[in-house]
Amino acid sequence: MTTSTTSAAPIQGEKRGGAWIALLIAGVFEVGYALSVNGSRGFTDPLWSIIAVVFFLFTLFFLSVALKRIDVGIGYAVWAGIGAVGAAVLGPVFFDETLTLAKGFWLAVIIAGVVWLKLADSPELDTRTQPAT
Amino acid sequence: MSWLYLAIAVVFEVAVGIAAGKANGFTHLWWTIATLVSGGIATFFLSLALLTFDVGIGYALWTSLAGVGIVIVGALFLSQKLTWKKFLGILVVIGGVVGLNLAGTA
Repeated sequence: MTTSTTSAAPIQGEKRGGAWIALLIAGVFEVGYALSVNGSRGFTDPLWSIIAVVFFLFTLFFLSVALKRIDVGIGYAVWAGIGAVGAAVLGPVFFDETLTLAKGFWLAVIIAGVVWLKLADSPELDTRTQPAT
Repeated sequence: MSWLYLAIAVVFEVAVGIAAGKANGFTHLWWTIATLVSGGIATFFLSLALLTFDVGIGYALWTSLAGVGIVIVGALFLSQKLTWKKFLGILVVIGGVVGLNLAGTA
């Protein structure tokens, strides 16, 4: 994988701020997607099914916008983390579900694992760990 | 049965991960179509799995196992390196999935 040299120009930083907002929006839509897929009851509820599809398209769109500026590994890590934590925390709020201590603990392990996995795929973090010349 | 639905959803989510990468910011038409079709199928089977799993559990299992699948497919077929960092991530995810099952909560 080729790595691009990152120049710390102020203009680029400003554009990255917008990209981070896009990434957060993508994460929020991903939580909405997870909850509405659950609410669709196997796509038998038409309203929640349509909302799920719309959220799916929105999350893809905002993610693609964000990843133009943010490193792919870091971007996916943050997005996946928001989605999984959001679904775990808000599931019991909207549905008849309980989040016990044991469930929460193992969910945290799984989510930490997938966030780590996405970060391990980051070209930017990879170059940062190289000794500076 | 719910695990079978989840497994099918994971396979198609792996396809989403691969296709979305190839779609290059959704500028490549056919990979974009492949992303959307795979995403649709993955979503459908996820919804069937979530009839049984709690959304927090089912979603975390789905997205993390797909993440593991993407790394394995990348290493086997797309000549990406399976670094020790990625290997460690896979172990943590699998450890979490096993723990969740042993705790009898999945």
